[in-house]
Amino acid sequence: MGVLRLVLRMSPVLALLAIWYIATSLGMIKPFLLPAPQTVAMRLWRDIATGQFALNAGLTMYRALMGFAIACLIGVPAGMLIASDRTVRWFCEPLISVGFPMPKIAFLPVFMLWFGVYDLSKIVMVSFAAIFTVVAAAEAGTRGVDRVLLWSARSMGASRAAVFWDVILPAAMPQFLTGIQIALPVSLITAVAAEMLMGGAGLGGAMLAAGNYADSPGVFAGIVETSLVGLLAVGGMTQLRRRLLRWHPEFNPR
Amino acid sequence: MNDGVGIEIERVTHGYTPKRGRPMVALDDISLSIPAHEFHALLGPSGCGKSTLLFLIGGFQKIQQGRIHTAHGDVCAPGPDRGIVFQNFALFPWKTVIENVRYGLEKKGIKGSEAEQTAKHFIDLVHLNGFERSYPAQLSGGMQQRAAIARTLAIDPDILLMDEPFGALDAQTRRIMQEELLAIWRATRKTVVFVTHDVAEAVYLADTISVMSARPGRIKRLVHASFNRSEDTAVFKSPEFTDMVEHVWDMVRDEVDEARRQGH
Repeated sequence: MGVLRLVLRMSPVLALLAIWYIATSLGMIKPFLLPAPQTVAMRLWRDIATGQFALNAGLTMYRALMGFAIACLIGVPAGMLIASDRTVRWFCEPLISVGFPMPKIAFLPVFMLWFGVYDLSKIVMVSFAAIFTVVAAAEAGTRGVDRVLLWSARSMGASRAAVFWDVILPAAMPQFLTGIQIALPVSLITAVAAEMLMGGAGLGGAMLAAGNYADSPGVFAGIVETSLVGLLAVGGMTQLRRRLLRWHPEFNPR
Repeated sequence: MNDGVGIEIERVTHGYTPKRGRPMVALDDISLSIPAHEFHALLGPSGCGKSTLLFLIGGFQKIQQGRIHTAHGDVCAPGPDRGIVFQNFALFPWKTVIENVRYGLEKKGIKGSEAEQTAKHFIDLVHLNGFERSYPAQLSGGMQQRAAIARTLAIDPDILLMDEPFGALDAQTRRIMQEELLAIWRATRKTVVFVTHDVAEAVYLADTISVMSARPGRIKRLVHASFNRSEDTAVFKSPEFTDMVEHVWDMVRDEVDEARRQGH
């Protein structure tokens, strides 16, 4: 039953694969422009068997998740602080307004200059790209906490400090998680993009190398590998949300 | 606590400035003395400042002018001597019913099995037994408000502040909740300040009704319950009850018209 449902849910993907297969096997497209799906699958299998996939995916995940974690650890408290302190808000709000729509990847040369060409510059790049969403969601979440919840806690004897942990943090958690959920794919995208610009190991670097050698199955295998990693990360995040928000109406249809 | 003193409100004036617009006077020189153990209703049209007055007693907003004191002294911050029940329940949605009720107990330093038993007692009192482990999102509005009342009663406040607590409930549930609230009040004899715009509700529940005027909020009249408030629910049909509702409604009507002219 579960398998059937999975197949049904994945049927658009299967349809796309079918079209891809038919188009390439009828010779409608040159294999150099679009290699056949079975060619890409073989390459994918070879990458897995040789450990290339594990190495590159692991490295990319490490950079993406480190940068993501730093963005969350700094971004959530920063957003809460901006929401609750007028002076901090006055100082930070214009900076965020300018930074939010900025193409963050443009800072990569600067970070390379400051932090070298190895992991550190890529991790900083990821954090920088991801932090704006986290801060904005944390700020909005904190500001959106219903005052009657704060008042209830205070009238039951909670101190101001206790209210922060007991009420604001859990009440704003859905929005914190929403920001974090958007920041996670941004982190992966930024890590891959940085690798593609800088070269070396990692999924992005492997795709850059494949492109340079006109190895189109390699490029397409890289795209599939990157999507698999993204799917895994986003799926894990959804599970985390489900677990943390068991109480939320979102998971309690009445 | 010394008996007799419930809540003393002395010459309280309170204003606010909306985002766009001129400063408004919400409460204009209010003085009111509510004896201990009294069930007191604040009745008036929307925008008359009755909730503001309640929040000032609760200590949630800063008193701009005048003073409010209770048996515990001057009001300057929220405290567990004044419990509050809000219209939209204000339960912590990430806590189950029993965790909500236990929260205030734990803040008082009551922990473990004692907190569990006390919480159970108040959950039984509001007829929510069997729903201890439910999250608020899994309960109906009436049940959520029962949980909120249990949570507030559990910290054993001297004063119970209620801001249109049954306003969000359907008519049948509201009637049952009113009856049960009266029964709880008779058993506990807490001082209750009950904000409502429902004349029949105020007449049914309260010993004394403060009829408030449209903005600026003033206390127009104090009305004492004139009929025999027995535990019999047939009171709704008694001529004394209907007469009093008419009498109070006449006082409120002008204010409602005035409030409507002000655009509420």
